[in-house]
Amino acid sequence: MGADGQSLPTKCLNCQSALTTPIVCGGCHSLYPRPPWADYFALLGLPRTYAIDEKKLNTSFRAIARGVHPDRFGGEPEEVQTLATRLSAEVNQAFHVLSDPVRRAGYLLELAGGPSPAEMREVPGDFLVDVMMLREEIDQAKTANDNDALQRHRESISARRQETLRQIAALAESSADLDEPRRKVLRQLLNSMKYYDNLLLEVAEDPLSSEHRAQAR
Amino acid sequence: MNEMRDIIIGIDLGTTNSLVAYADEAGPRLIAGPDGEGDVLLPSVVAFDDAGRVARIGREARAHAVERPTTTVYSIKRLMGKGVADLTEDLRRLPYCIERRSGEDGRDVAAVVLGDKRYTPPEISAMILGELKTRAERHFGRPVSKAVITVPAQFDDAQRQATRDAGQIAGLDVVRIINEPTAAALAYGLDRTEYATIAVYDLGGGTFDISILRLEDGVFEVLATNGDTHLGGDDFDQTLIDLFTREIREQFGVDITTPTIKQQLRTLSENIKMRLSEGDTASVEVAIGAERVYRRAVTRGELETMIAPLVDRTIEACSRAMKAAKLTPDEIQQVVLVGGSTRVPYVRRRVAEVFRRQPYTALNPEQVVALGAGVQASLLAGVQRDLLLLDVTPLSLGIETLGGAMGKLIPANTRVPCRASETFTTFKDGQTNVKINVLQGERELVKDCRSLGVFELTGVPPMPAGIPKIDVTFLIDQNGILNVSATERRSGQTASVQIVPSHGLTREEVRRMQAEALQHAREDMTAHHLIDVRTTLEFDLHKAEQMIERHGRLLDSAERDLLIVEIQSLREFATTCTDPRALNERREAFNRMTVPLAELAITASLRDGNGATEQESAPQQRRTLAPSRAKL
Repeated sequence: MGADGQSLPTKCLNCQSALTTPIVCGGCHSLYPRPPWADYFALLGLPRTYAIDEKKLNTSFRAIARGVHPDRFGGEPEEVQTLATRLSAEVNQAFHVLSDPVRRAGYLLELAGGPSPAEMREVPGDFLVDVMMLREEIDQAKTANDNDALQRHRESISARRQETLRQIAALAESSADLDEPRRKVLRQLLNSMKYYDNLLLEVAEDPLSSEHRAQAR
Repeated sequence: MNEMRDIIIGIDLGTTNSLVAYADEAGPRLIAGPDGEGDVLLPSVVAFDDAGRVARIGREARAHAVERPTTTVYSIKRLMGKGVADLTEDLRRLPYCIERRSGEDGRDVAAVVLGDKRYTPPEISAMILGELKTRAERHFGRPVSKAVITVPAQFDDAQRQATRDAGQIAGLDVVRIINEPTAAALAYGLDRTEYATIAVYDLGGGTFDISILRLEDGVFEVLATNGDTHLGGDDFDQTLIDLFTREIREQFGVDITTPTIKQQLRTLSENIKMRLSEGDTASVEVAIGAERVYRRAVTRGELETMIAPLVDRTIEACSRAMKAAKLTPDEIQQVVLVGGSTRVPYVRRRVAEVFRRQPYTALNPEQVVALGAGVQASLLAGVQRDLLLLDVTPLSLGIETLGGAMGKLIPANTRVPCRASETFTTFKDGQTNVKINVLQGERELVKDCRSLGVFELTGVPPMPAGIPKIDVTFLIDQNGILNVSATERRSGQTASVQIVPSHGLTREEVRRMQAEALQHAREDMTAHHLIDVRTTLEFDLHKAEQMIERHGRLLDSAERDLLIVEIQSLREFATTCTDPRALNERREAFNRMTVPLAELAITASLRDGNGATEQESAPQQRRTLAPSRAKL
């Protein structure tokens, strides 16, 4: 079923084979434009749920990407190649969103009636103050070359990020049934993930530290 | 080979050398040049005469580089898709003259000045492509009009467009542009079925790429790519040139300014670099005037110290690529070396260190990209369908926003094809067009990014300011080339998009150049080709005369007389004929006539036990240990 409850084709118009995705037939390689109500889950032939079988997602993506890639349609008329290029872009985008737990949860929120985290960039109450203080502590540890402190920050930020992701998963599981206050919580949690990622980058070990470079010489 | 199928060739258009390949059910192979030596590398060098007409392409052109530095064009790839403002460093180094092409619209496109002619880089690249096309046509015995061409993964949209334009000017429909490291991976992984993550380290003459790929079930998926389009073996040579130039000035008070001497030093330096890949020291002697000599022994260690900062840059790019792919060195199973500059031992050592494993060197680093291009060509031709390349865009794509900032729409390392949409509106009542400055790069400010050009949306229905909603779709296709389309939301009208490329050619210019190239190629090449055919013909005739003298008695007198008459008639024809093709056809027909005689001659030689006289062994080429020499 599609995003607006409209039904999606289940059989190829050309060869009657069963379709796993509405855009390409695995049997005769016919391409179909994406129905506007086919969401990313439908494009990749997956149920619309937060919990996702990663292996299935990968296999499914590869099979469909292979089916719609313009290289497959080398000798075909230009319209077919243009359609293949457009469908490939959509399949790539679908995989980009669904393969990442934060993007996937954000997308489910959007499907549930939004607004999406990108449209409303709110974060939990005292979060920004917390981040600012953490930044200062990290800067101090860096200036003092305090590697132990940096290591402690690395661990505690990772743990908080992990915990946030767990809360996101719990909410996103039932995204279709959430009321607005709980959607708001989910949105705020999703927006805070970006800050954790940036903080982790700041405390990351530099693979090209001067010591390593000296060794290489 | 299926006769109905279009032939698609794969081309590696390199900074230093170019190659052409083809793949069928038996796999990919390279197509050699016509000189009978089975040489597959075509030096990417075009020599012009004083009037600016093409004289030689490839090996012979390169051989004349020292005598004629200002009319011999090499490393043209460095100029592809560039404006003169981008090229300060190259302007200093390259001995030929580069100017801004006189344009009407503020575009900055570099052009090479030769005689009273100006050629843009795509036109010169087209000459090299034309030569490869001819090789392929000679090989297949029929016209070839479609090609896959490889480019450095880090090439931006303008450089890719320029490459595609070069193909069109050469009369080739460029059905696909693929990234060089990806092509190399395709050739490497062709017969491998097991799951693997590999890194391709590609250091060529002028460009550097590092790509990390996952190979699984015939899918070649690029996870991340990084690099530098202005870093390669040419830069290694330059460190030596700079060293010699400085020392000659210090010791002899002589400044090296003339193009000829610059070119000599370049050849010497390239030679020293290659010798230092084998031995520990290499020496040069440069005669300064009649009396004095500059002598210098360079050790491998010395060269390594000089190129270390350059190699550092490649190693840093490797780390960035691993980071973008979210992988550690231990998660990469193989490191494949590509490009002639990976023959330098120091490069190999540093690569081994950063990836913590010995790189894979079984493939010929100069040929693997072309072989991969051949494989991709066979995929597109439908020879095989079971492989798939999933590549990424090397650079972030964005648009200029208020205040000169870069608004990112598609980040680097996004799988292609990909697309992004953005809505624009008008600032004035009744405004019917909107201009969008499209950028590529990783920096925050417009001035630090590269403008691909200004896209002008026209045909917006006149409405009060801010009311029109124009949805613009930016689509990067599988070639890494941008396509832009736009619709006005209310009217559903498709707005048309006109592109003024910042550093490229318009479609009309490319079409005109294609027509001109065809015309010039006919005029220029005819004269030179005619000389070549005449020389070869005289050689063939002379050989035939010798055979007739020695073994002619073995033939019927009628057959023998026929040959003698034909020799005479061909000599006459050669002096009057102006069409090299017609002359060459007669030459080939003549050579077919002499086949029976040649066979008889061989049999006779074998019977007489002096077969060796017919095929004297060439003197073994000695490895020269003497210093490379030049005269100033």
